[in-house]
Amino acid sequence: MRSPMPLFRRAFVDSWRSTLGWAAGLAGAILLYLPIYPSIGGSAQMQEMINALPPEMTKALNYDQIASGPGYTQATVFGLIGFLLMTIATVSWGAAAVGGDEESGQLELTLAHGVTRMQLVWERALAMFLRVVLLAVLVFVLILALNDSAHLSIDSMHLFGAAVEFAGLALLSGTAALFVGALSGRKAYGLAAGAAVGVLGYVFNAVGRQSPDLDWLLDLSPYHWAYGNSPVANGADWASAGWLWGISAGLVLLSSLALQRRDVGS
Amino acid sequence: MESAITVEGLRKSFGSREVLHGIDFQVQAGSVFGVIGPNGAGKTTTMRCLLDIIRPSAGTLRVLGQDPRHGGPGLRRRIGYLPGELTLEARVTGRRLLDHYEAVSGPVSPGRIDELAERLNLDLDRHTRKLSKGNKQKLGLIQAFMHEPELLVLDEPTSGLDPLVQQEFLAMVQEARDRGQTVFLSSHVLSEVQQAADEVAILRDGRIVTVATVDALRESAVRHLRFTASGITADDAGALLGRVPGVGGVEVLTAGDGVELTAVLEGSIGPLVQALSRLELTDLVLEEPDLEESVLRLYGNNGNGRRGNGSRRREPQEEGSSHA
Repeated sequence: MRSPMPLFRRAFVDSWRSTLGWAAGLAGAILLYLPIYPSIGGSAQMQEMINALPPEMTKALNYDQIASGPGYTQATVFGLIGFLLMTIATVSWGAAAVGGDEESGQLELTLAHGVTRMQLVWERALAMFLRVVLLAVLVFVLILALNDSAHLSIDSMHLFGAAVEFAGLALLSGTAALFVGALSGRKAYGLAAGAAVGVLGYVFNAVGRQSPDLDWLLDLSPYHWAYGNSPVANGADWASAGWLWGISAGLVLLSSLALQRRDVGS
Repeated sequence: MESAITVEGLRKSFGSREVLHGIDFQVQAGSVFGVIGPNGAGKTTTMRCLLDIIRPSAGTLRVLGQDPRHGGPGLRRRIGYLPGELTLEARVTGRRLLDHYEAVSGPVSPGRIDELAERLNLDLDRHTRKLSKGNKQKLGLIQAFMHEPELLVLDEPTSGLDPLVQQEFLAMVQEARDRGQTVFLSSHVLSEVQQAADEVAILRDGRIVTVATVDALRESAVRHLRFTASGITADDAGALLGRVPGVGGVEVLTAGDGVELTAVLEGSIGPLVQALSRLELTDLVLEEPDLEESVLRLYGNNGNGRRGNGSRRREPQEEGSSHA
């Protein structure tokens, strides 16, 4: 029988191993970092050590607020290891969704069936969005669960806002990978584009924070849009979250138009 | 009769390289139409244009009465397609993959998938990426045939299949034809389509050389002959073969107390078999009609001045000449 959104269901259900793997990675990172906050981040000793580091370095690593629970969570989970894992996950999904599928020759067969190219891009993008949302929910729930035992004192609304920014930032890299993959039909180009968005965003933020003269770099950094105001401590900047999600959706639209207009597998 | 596929002036360029130089053909509804040609002739490109996977640079296409560019999913559900290079790397079982394509292009009548899998001897519960090339090809055939589409477009359908399964496939094509389905298939070997096809188009370098019935084509094709025989001299063997109608390009080498002889045969094999029966053969190979050569011969017959000097072969010698 024909059923609604078959491509979405296949993309989502058939990738459960991958989704589960990334979920385990994120959970592991959170369970590794957060429970030790009381003995590391919160201690006066740690603060002294941070103070002893070159200020440029603490700024680059976002360790300047590491002595508070929200600052520690922001710097370690959202700002570093979580960001890294989530970006790698979305970039690999985005690049594989169209470019990878085309390169391996499987897209040709799918497009020869009763689907439109628009539908294919949107349903696969939707599967990626849903996976990202699930992982962000997992991060949110786990941190909330550790909030008391690890003495993090994070406001749950602020944490929610941070999770939305976290997901939006990852989606931007993922949809950039999707777009370039759909435009070129090459997985490697998609991976490069997605990684560039993630890495350059991080680097522009790290460098831009060093001096007021380099402020303009921050405006170019999606990482800074998401985390510039330390959402775990202060709540999300909803306008920036809107930009991250909105541009991601725009990239999906561009991906579908790009695929619509060209030969596949040639 | 109504035509299932009409192609007029189809051209396709990739960048500045034109790979189809304006081809025309029609496939009658309910017939089996084969397109043959060497690799790179444009068979796959033509088929991809029919499915709107790639877009023509010029020309008009009608598939089941519609322009594939605008037919959309509705049109493609009426077509079963087997890509020329089938890659199935997903971590899913064959059954799940077929269920997925059923969800996209169905409905498929109950039991149909299992029936096809049984006929082709394919285990549907294995992961697709662990399947051998032949088994992947079977899966590809099932997804093309399962929803009994009006039109089947099959790019090199027999590649990777063992001879028994090839026979089963040909039976499936025959049944599809009997049901009124149209089959458009390609091959680089004439022998693979000659049993199934009513008509054959020969494609070469992006041009249709000829459209002919299989019988007409076979008559014009040449076969390569090679044998070894004992108890005969090279001169006698050369003279004997030289007298057989349709045999040319005879080359004889002395081997032990006998000879090793190669030649090409055009037309009927009856006289050749009679001549060979007088020899003490120790080995005999009579190849399938050579497509490449028959294509080149057709060029020659069309007055383009090119004779059958098959690129992979030695230039045929004068009839009856021999080397001792």
